[in-house]
Amino acid sequence: MTDLLTSPYPALLVGLPVLLATLSLFFRTRGKALVGLLGCLLTAGLAIVAFIEVAQHGTVIHILGGWEPPLGIMLRMDSLAAVFIGMTAVVGVFISLYAWQYFRADESGPGEFPLFWPLWLFLWAGLNGLFLSNDLFNLFVTIEVIGICAVALAVLSGKTTAMFAGLRYLLAAITGSMAYLFGVALIYGSTGTLDLGLLGQVLEPGTTTTFALLVITFGLMVKMAGFPFHFWLPPAHSAALAPVSALLSALVVKGAFYILLRLWMEVFGVSITYAAGQLIGLAGAIAVIWGSWQAFMQTSLKLIVAHSSVAQLGYLLMIFPLLILAPGVTADSADWLSPAWTAGIFQVIAHAFAKASFFLSAGLIIMALGHDRIESLRDLVGNMRITAMAIGLAGVSLIGLPPSGGFMAKWMLLKGIFLSGQWWWAPVVLAGSLLTAGYVFMLLRLAFAPAREMGTFKPVPKSLEIVALILALGSFLIVFPADYMIQFLESTGVFGSGIESIVEGGAYGND
Amino acid sequence: MSVLIDIILAILAIYLAFQSLLAKRLTQTVFIFFAFGLALALAWVRLGAIDVAITEAAIAAGFMGVLFLDALRDFSPRTSNNQEKTEAAKDIFSKKNTKSLLLPRVALVLGLVLFLLISLEAIWNIPDGGGLTVSVETMLPESGVEHPVTAVLLNFRAYDTWLEIGVILLGLLAIFATGGIKLYLKPDVPAQDILLRQVILFFTPILFLFGAFLLYIGKSGPGGAFQAGVLWAAIGILLHLGGKPVFSMIPRWLGQLLLTLGLGFFLLLGFILMAGGATLFEYPPAYAGVLILIVETLAAISIAAALTAIFANLNQMQEKPNDIESTT
Amino acid sequence: METYQIYSLTSAVLFVIGLGGVFISRHFIKKIIATIIMGGGVFLSFVSFAERDALTFADPVPHALVITGIVVAVASAAFALALARRIYQLTGEESFTKDK
Repeated sequence: MTDLLTSPYPALLVGLPVLLATLSLFFRTRGKALVGLLGCLLTAGLAIVAFIEVAQHGTVIHILGGWEPPLGIMLRMDSLAAVFIGMTAVVGVFISLYAWQYFRADESGPGEFPLFWPLWLFLWAGLNGLFLSNDLFNLFVTIEVIGICAVALAVLSGKTTAMFAGLRYLLAAITGSMAYLFGVALIYGSTGTLDLGLLGQVLEPGTTTTFALLVITFGLMVKMAGFPFHFWLPPAHSAALAPVSALLSALVVKGAFYILLRLWMEVFGVSITYAAGQLIGLAGAIAVIWGSWQAFMQTSLKLIVAHSSVAQLGYLLMIFPLLILAPGVTADSADWLSPAWTAGIFQVIAHAFAKASFFLSAGLIIMALGHDRIESLRDLVGNMRITAMAIGLAGVSLIGLPPSGGFMAKWMLLKGIFLSGQWWWAPVVLAGSLLTAGYVFMLLRLAFAPAREMGTFKPVPKSLEIVALILALGSFLIVFPADYMIQFLESTGVFGSGIESIVEGGAYGND
Repeated sequence: MSVLIDIILAILAIYLAFQSLLAKRLTQTVFIFFAFGLALALAWVRLGAIDVAITEAAIAAGFMGVLFLDALRDFSPRTSNNQEKTEAAKDIFSKKNTKSLLLPRVALVLGLVLFLLISLEAIWNIPDGGGLTVSVETMLPESGVEHPVTAVLLNFRAYDTWLEIGVILLGLLAIFATGGIKLYLKPDVPAQDILLRQVILFFTPILFLFGAFLLYIGKSGPGGAFQAGVLWAAIGILLHLGGKPVFSMIPRWLGQLLLTLGLGFFLLLGFILMAGGATLFEYPPAYAGVLILIVETLAAISIAAALTAIFANLNQMQEKPNDIESTT
Repeated sequence: METYQIYSLTSAVLFVIGLGGVFISRHFIKKIIATIIMGGGVFLSFVSFAERDALTFADPVPHALVITGIVVAVASAAFALALARRIYQLTGEESFTKDK
């Protein structure tokens, strides 16, 4: 533990956004936005610098208060955390730029929401804190910070539907974090430590550990809207303001996934069985089919995009069965682990870019039309060419057509599926892509269709359209540094690792 | 004998938890919830967690209870008069729905019972992890305080505590985000209630002194920033009820300063220490005691301000909904 | 049976009551109270393990965690209450209806 490089960056990545958020509270409307935007740019810059630091020196740590675990809390920025932080920074900075212009758009804009800025900065700090955290209880505090910020942002629009959706979201979030904390209590009670690294060494298999894994997984599944706990996501994401929807679906739900991945891979290896992985994979598979189908059935753009999030998160859960090895298989001989990990990470990043772009484009369409019913999208191409292009590109990435990042994710997932011999997941991936193609092409068909009436589109700021397009392009550009990124991620022990399943999984081995 | 007390207390807590959710009237729910909080506080005392007991009684039962009581002004007229009627009406209307609702409910309850049995077994068979008592005891002399819980809160795990102070501020910001709120409302309600004014005059100094006492004693015994903050918040709440909303009487910047002081100073101190080559929140042992006392005092002020503001904002949400007359 | 065992078993019961309450209760306030009861259960389990691990004093780490947890839970619950009251203010609704 002490041989790792100590660096101030992990502490700054949490501290700086909080400092700037606090500072912004002192200003009035416009000043808040200005300080907020400045804070976003600074935080993003800091994240990039920290990313480079990790790329050069490997994992860096920060032992808070100088107290080593298990007594104190350690922040750890390994390459996996660095990739998530970098993704948050890049996607976050574009959404911030969009929000800055979007809230200032005079006539058709939604008005100014000065509270957006401090809440978003707190959210950013929470996300960074979550990715860096190496302590079970600290993770609870960060998911609470994220949960409160996310719901507060979701209800910011002030619409009644947003309030209902927000309360549902909040109750789900609190329930999820309490379930998570119950698991933490049991783990602390049975080991006397909260540090992830130490827990990975000392945790013994047994009823208590398995039960703790069960409640923790339940809690995090609720938080990341995994099937069958996805009920809160579509209303909450679709009723929020456009930049908020983008933040919530691109970044916030990934937080819970990140913890789930970390805990399953690094901590709970001893009590995870092959069957548990299959069960999580099944939940993911149902989410892919169900979410895509629901998206296909919706008639308003934002609801389509929100339901599509449920499906795209399902793909993330589908990597779990691949990472858990059948009895008798060792990690060295399992050549599908690396593709499965790559699929997971690229799905996270590609979805973040594509979904952010999709929601930002939807916001522009609402700005232009005053609503987002899809039958009014006729002749979108003629009126808002750039937005139409953004939707098209983001859609292609969501379907998983080459050469997008989404293609890379789904291709690697299929590769992992076939290499591991778990062929039964393959039809799900293909069916999900087909259904996604169904609703994306339905949107594009409308966008290219000739208009029935003229002049319903109000002009929207070009700069906003360009931000949406850049994010959509981003979901393609991420393919280029793929080799480098995989190499970088492989420098972290956890990437490419698998759980060597034990035969005796305990009485409650199934999740 | 002592086991008997514990068993009675445990059963009482379970009974009250059940009752608060099953009670027909919302008023009952809230009062039983308050009693539940007190029962839990007694359980903390039995378990030797005096700090937790004070926090539970002050924040979870006390402050939350006051917020729920205040909310009753909104909800209760409908619930007490109409709820039973509407529920009866719903039963009549949804006779055919009852069956379809029954099955998932039974499944849910069965699932919960199964879950309970597994969790009981998991807890019963929990291995003895040993905890961190020994580590804390070894490091306690370097922490700058004598009370182990304070040492953990403000030194060993200061990062968590800092984030937690942030969460309180965030709770307030989130309440602003729900809209329809004016923090700086005009003090238009004169305190005509003489009794209330006497209560305020009598309690303000007591609450202040007791809070300061808890803050100072936190160094060596149960107490500290959170408990003190809640007591000071009680002053703000009393003043608000007496028609003197604190945040309207002080300048805007001062209100903002009070709200952010704890979080901001805690962090700036950490940054200053970092600039000196230490890690975040790494206090030099020689000054740790003083620094912790300053951090705690400022944190208590901010917590008091935030809780007062939370109450003040929720208290304003009393206007009747516009369309309620038309719908009923 | 020792004191800590009584309370640790109680904690599981409280957690399940709260969990059930969140799903089954209809009124917003009851749902919020249910989450606090869930939290109460969780905190009770933490503190009961602290009592078990007591030497010269009870393990202070769970105590500190619980104090943090209570404050965090109260902040979330206050926000939920604000949302519930705001919904009531806007619509007069006190619970989620099927179509919302």
